[in-house]
Amino acid sequence: MTIPPIIHLLFFPGGLFMLALALAYEYVDRKVVARFQNRIGPRWFQPAADVLKLLIKEEVTPNVTHPVLFVALPVLALAGSLTAALSVPILGLNPALSFPGDLIVTVYLLSLVTMSMGLAGWNTNNRFSLIGATRSLTQVFCYEAPFMLALLGPAVVTGSWRITEILQTLDGQWIVFSQPIGFLVAVVGLMGKLEMPPFDAPKAKTEIVAGAMTEYSGRGLGLFHLGKIVEEVVGLSLLAALYLGGVSNPLAFFGKTLALLVVMAACHCLFTRLRIDQTVGVWWRYGTVLVLLQWIAVILWRVMTA
Amino acid sequence: MTTSVQTGTPTDPALGRAETILARWAPVASRPEPNRLDVPVPAEDVAQAAQALGRERWGYLAAITGLDHGPEADRLEALYHFCSGAAVLTLRALLPRHGGTVPSVAETFPLAMFFERELSEMFGVTVAGTPDPSRLFLPDDWPTGVYPLLKDVNPQAALAAQSETAPPRLQGKSDGDRFIVPIGPQHPALKEPGHFAFEVDGEVVKGASVRLGYVHRGIEKACEGQTWVQNLYLLERVCGICSHTHATCYALGVERLAGVEAPPRAQAIRVILGCLERIHSHLLWLGVAAHEAGFETLFMYSWRDRETIMDLLEQLSGNRVNYSCNVLGGVKFDISAEQAQAIRRALDFVEERTRHYLEVVSTDTLFLGRTQGIGVLSRQEAEYLGTVGPTARASGVPIDIRVTHPYAAYRAFPAEMVLDTAGDLTARFVVRMKEVFESGRVIRSILDNLPAGDLTVKMPRRIKPAETISRYEAPRGEVFYFLRSNGSDTPERVHIRTPSLCNWTSVLTKAVGAQLADVPLLLAGMDPCFSCNDRTVVITRPRRDPQVLSWEALRSAARQDRRR
Repeated sequence: MTIPPIIHLLFFPGGLFMLALALAYEYVDRKVVARFQNRIGPRWFQPAADVLKLLIKEEVTPNVTHPVLFVALPVLALAGSLTAALSVPILGLNPALSFPGDLIVTVYLLSLVTMSMGLAGWNTNNRFSLIGATRSLTQVFCYEAPFMLALLGPAVVTGSWRITEILQTLDGQWIVFSQPIGFLVAVVGLMGKLEMPPFDAPKAKTEIVAGAMTEYSGRGLGLFHLGKIVEEVVGLSLLAALYLGGVSNPLAFFGKTLALLVVMAACHCLFTRLRIDQTVGVWWRYGTVLVLLQWIAVILWRVMTA
Repeated sequence: MTTSVQTGTPTDPALGRAETILARWAPVASRPEPNRLDVPVPAEDVAQAAQALGRERWGYLAAITGLDHGPEADRLEALYHFCSGAAVLTLRALLPRHGGTVPSVAETFPLAMFFERELSEMFGVTVAGTPDPSRLFLPDDWPTGVYPLLKDVNPQAALAAQSETAPPRLQGKSDGDRFIVPIGPQHPALKEPGHFAFEVDGEVVKGASVRLGYVHRGIEKACEGQTWVQNLYLLERVCGICSHTHATCYALGVERLAGVEAPPRAQAIRVILGCLERIHSHLLWLGVAAHEAGFETLFMYSWRDRETIMDLLEQLSGNRVNYSCNVLGGVKFDISAEQAQAIRRALDFVEERTRHYLEVVSTDTLFLGRTQGIGVLSRQEAEYLGTVGPTARASGVPIDIRVTHPYAAYRAFPAEMVLDTAGDLTARFVVRMKEVFESGRVIRSILDNLPAGDLTVKMPRRIKPAETISRYEAPRGEVFYFLRSNGSDTPERVHIRTPSLCNWTSVLTKAVGAQLADVPLLLAGMDPCFSCNDRTVVITRPRRDPQVLSWEALRSAARQDRRR
């Protein structure tokens, strides 16, 4: 059975389905955080209502920006994370698009959101945006390498950089037990990627309002937001698939990704925002070193068992 | 020791020392109240006298009050109030009503800069050698030469004249090659309007300035046109958080002027309300500070628990914000046995929660990473900069009016001072959290021994001419009221100095060299209250070319934007 690629792109697993799934996950995230913080939290349709409101709002384009970039960057961000969804086993089904090295491509497509935000912050030429963009990009350089290395841990074990092949070779093994440090770094790295507290310095509202997003008001803000929440679902799926024994059916998919989501929401509530210099310190002093140790262990194991 | 004690039996030894220090001027000194010393000083000697006090480390400069004696008397006085413990020393400089000049005392007391700008702006007194003589708290388009606190000036007329002047032209912003991060007047970090300009290099702050006055309401002038009783309700609205503070401070002062003392039960109820206000203010502050640091969970929980106190205040007084507890000569409502029980229950809960918060702010590694060793203010710096309240106590400065100059029921139910020596943000958290326990302890001891008796005594409507000073420890530090009566039913002068004003210098000093990310927390660390602060006064180093936009200019700018 072949499904035309356009269906994959527009409806499933990319496109509309991903958007709906991401909004549902955002709802869970917001509700869980709210309950942890002793609040009631939003109703189930609130994330969708927020995005809809933003999409139909008038967008004010500041006159010092490059207008094409201003409009194109949010689209690029959303396109990046939707495309990333194509190679990931969403719902536990086979990825729509699989090719050697798709793991690397997926991770880099996920970074597109942050890069677009950084560019957008620079482009809008607002003081808060500039500082926010600088912080965003500084942070990218901190977590990207350890995050990538952590995701490559399972790939090294299986000897493939193709997600479907890795999952087949692993055959339901829980890599989290053999590579706990890699898993830890990957989870914290995903929080960094999503600019969740304590890594939310790039959008610290008590210092720089909304950071890179300060000048975005309507459609652009909505699209960036969608890009971010799709990135979250893709990231969670990747982590669940690679580290938590794969996702072979929708039940396993939801169970594992939602469990991860709750863990991340709990961390979100527990911590104070790190200053950007502290973030850099955490990643280069601990994150990178830890994941390198993990790698040495994995490689030694490979050499010895080979 | 002295030659000039006129009234009052228990003389304060600090005043004797002051007389020795000011020996040159002392022969004409007088003691209007047991704890006060008035020293008339020729205007040109003010700086010398202040220097002598500063050299001997006698107390701190609490306020500079301008006092207009009206067109008939044709003279003006500048009163320099210095406090040391319970003792208040006032240097009185007599000036001509127009074109008077006093030398600046800002070199000895940096804080004087604010007071001197207030003085020159409100009374037209020239302060020679003050670091920044520019307009300070009046709007930038206030007409020049109109000094609103002079008796014969009508601010309404001045405002009418102001609106006739053409709106200033819109200019592009130009800060040269400096990268300035503006915080405010509207900014998510600020709950009240104020404008801070931080010059940053990367993430490091290289310069800081502040412009306040956005909520200036001219309350001091308004007070002169209303009766003593009416003013109680106006002054209660100086601040939304410490409304009880201002009303009580004023009521205590007016009662002293009238020679009346409120009954013990009333004084006890005043203190109970004051302590509850301190608890809710400190919990509110904890939430705000946590929010500034990006710790939303602590913010949510501390505000939830603060609701307990708010509900209690509503149950006692009927209001959540302006409790309207005071009347001149007493209080309005009693505390019944059931209410006392409700207070105890609420305190049990709040104290248990506060113990938890104290543990969080003093042990959570990530939170300590944002507070420990940040904005360290040494005791010497804190004293030199004139810091007051918990900010000063966190640096080990023993300054707490409840202890050093007990008022109302604090004489019968003494409070203990909470001190810390670290002087950093963590210490400010710890001091405030411990003050919650201390307030709880005072409330319990009062509730257990609540004096019986009336709630009010009769107050005269007119008050014979006199002056007094009323000091009160607000949650943020010392509130200072200068009151002068003239025999009628309205005050001659009400001068208010709030604690936030005293703490700005310390924050701005500490912001330079700090990380931009620490700045909101540093600001929050002194618990600034713009509303109190702006009732009359504003601040340091405003932008070189301040822009003031009228409503019309804003609208036309908006229209231009839309057309583009």
